[in-house]
Amino acid sequence: MRWARAIVMALILCGGLAWLQCGQVVGQTNSNTSTSLGAAGDERWQKEFDELCSRTQDAMSYSQEQLAALVQRCDALMPQLEKLDETRKKVYLKRLKTCRGLYAYVLESKKSEKN
Amino acid sequence: MLTCWNPRKARRIERRLAPLKIACLVLLTANFTGAGQIYLPKPPPEPPDYGKVILRADCTPAGKAVVFDHWLHRSKFTCRVCHVDVGFAMQANGTGIRAQSNREGFHCGACHDGSRVFEGKALFAAACSEEKSGQECDRCHSAGKKDARKYEYKEFTAKFPKGVYGVDWEVAENSGAIKPADFVEGISVRKAEMKGREDFGMKKEFSFVTPVGFSHQKHTVWNGCELCHPEIFPTAKKETVQYSMLLNIEGRYCGACHGKVAFPLNNCHKCHEGAPLWAAS
Repeated sequence: MRWARAIVMALILCGGLAWLQCGQVVGQTNSNTSTSLGAAGDERWQKEFDELCSRTQDAMSYSQEQLAALVQRCDALMPQLEKLDETRKKVYLKRLKTCRGLYAYVLESKKSEKN
Repeated sequence: MLTCWNPRKARRIERRLAPLKIACLVLLTANFTGAGQIYLPKPPPEPPDYGKVILRADCTPAGKAVVFDHWLHRSKFTCRVCHVDVGFAMQANGTGIRAQSNREGFHCGACHDGSRVFEGKALFAAACSEEKSGQECDRCHSAGKKDARKYEYKEFTAKFPKGVYGVDWEVAENSGAIKPADFVEGISVRKAEMKGREDFGMKKEFSFVTPVGFSHQKHTVWNGCELCHPEIFPTAKKETVQYSMLLNIEGRYCGACHGKVAFPLNNCHKCHEGAPLWAAS
């Protein structure tokens, strides 16, 4: 009987350990998933960022509506950049503000030309 | 109570006020001279020191400030690459560069990551830490250190065409002596080729100067549009901003670059055709 009890106890302990390890693995899996989700999010904002800031050379050729849309898109992207880690937030926000600033500037100049 | 005019008393008061009058006169003269001094651009430092940017005099742990040679980097890259794509501010210490941000691959670390190859050479890593100190850190944290830096102005610019104040960068580029890169893989955003912007003249304010002929073309080649607008030149509405040399000398408008890293404001004829050099020596 004693042996049987010892075996049962050992099994319970092993089971507990296995469960704990499993939990850790699941945790790791979850964190991996969140990382990969973060990477997907990264790709999305990065793509939008590149798309927005690749047009500054042509800013003067855009219509007022197009410029206003670009400014709006910049404004929409900003909250996403606010969620980045400190350094990336600082760098990309500054860069995006530079692009947004130009579109707003050209828009203002076009409006004043019209008036 | 009635009082009557007392010449003796009046003279006594006048005598007492004399030092005050002299003090006022001295102050007024000093103020006038001072204003003149502020209005006229001071002669720039010697070419090797012109555009030398001292960063983070308070930096730790080394306690040694970073000496950034603007002349070295401008010979390799357009202004836009560093001030737009990398995101460096236009004022010294305005970016908030940290060893951490360099290690993460931003700011200086965007290029200086230890693996990026430029002109056939791997760029050293700008990633110092408390544990890692010594010669590698001294490449940048070189204030007050002799022989810490790899490039010296005199040797580096020996073959570049010279102007009144050191290298004439415009001629250097036109002659092919330098070929500043406008795109850095992994940092810059791919853009369409810049369409030349029209040059324009600016109205003169005084009869003794010639009007400024501003070359939009030259400036956009190096800066793109977004480096100058709207941060430095904030409005497109004509005649809403009164540009003046005083504001330039204060570091605004043209003075954001000229007088700091681009040709000095003393080089009057570069903008005002036919104008003499002011205080060249």
